[in-house]
Amino acid sequence: MNRQQKIAVTVLIVSLLGMFLGITFILMRRFVPDFPKTAIAFGSLVLAIGVIVFISRFKKDKGAVTFDERDKLIEKNAHLAGFGAVYLLVILVSYLPIGIAPEAKIPTKWFPFLLPVAVLCQCFAQSLATLIQYGRGGKDGEK
Amino acid sequence: MAKSESSGEQSRTIINNIRRLRFENSEMTQQQLAERVGVTRQTIIAIEAGKYSPSLTLAFKVARTFDISIEQVFQYEDAQKE
Repeated sequence: MNRQQKIAVTVLIVSLLGMFLGITFILMRRFVPDFPKTAIAFGSLVLAIGVIVFISRFKKDKGAVTFDERDKLIEKNAHLAGFGAVYLLVILVSYLPIGIAPEAKIPTKWFPFLLPVAVLCQCFAQSLATLIQYGRGGKDGEK
Repeated sequence: MAKSESSGEQSRTIINNIRRLRFENSEMTQQQLAERVGVTRQTIIAIEAGKYSPSLTLAFKVARTFDISIEQVFQYEDAQKE
């Protein structure tokens, strides 16, 4: 596994964890009225700091060349996949409420949540695309 | 010979002889070839397995490493089914 793959695995796990925590917090807020908002903020902060510290520990691979044209292509395609996923998410959240309940009203306080959801979605799709493109190889990608 | 896939009806069109050429050139390792052409070992593995088609620049570098023409390393095989 090279550095890009290690980072992708970490980000994939963390984005899944983030989604799980997000859903848990939403449910807690809904069913436990006095659930503190600070718990959500603190949880998110700890998660973000943990990811930064963890990723910074992945040192660059030893050897003369650590990043080449194939890695660049994989990175480019992964970015494209992440962007596509966010685009789909925006389309989904824009049109799904109209399809489900055309007459219903959405509280404006929900809109800021679109940003963290989009970030999670982008991280998830990008990491998944990176791992898929590198393949499920063993050591150094050798099958 | 390893083959790499291409889209459309024509599949598995680029084949290469890198593995054979490495062994013919005093059993050069994948790492040695990677260092000579300036890529990672993973990329050489992917090219040999036919999972990645290299850029023209890289293809020329590989050919020059073995001191042969590019067509002796990579061949375009017309695999279109009639």
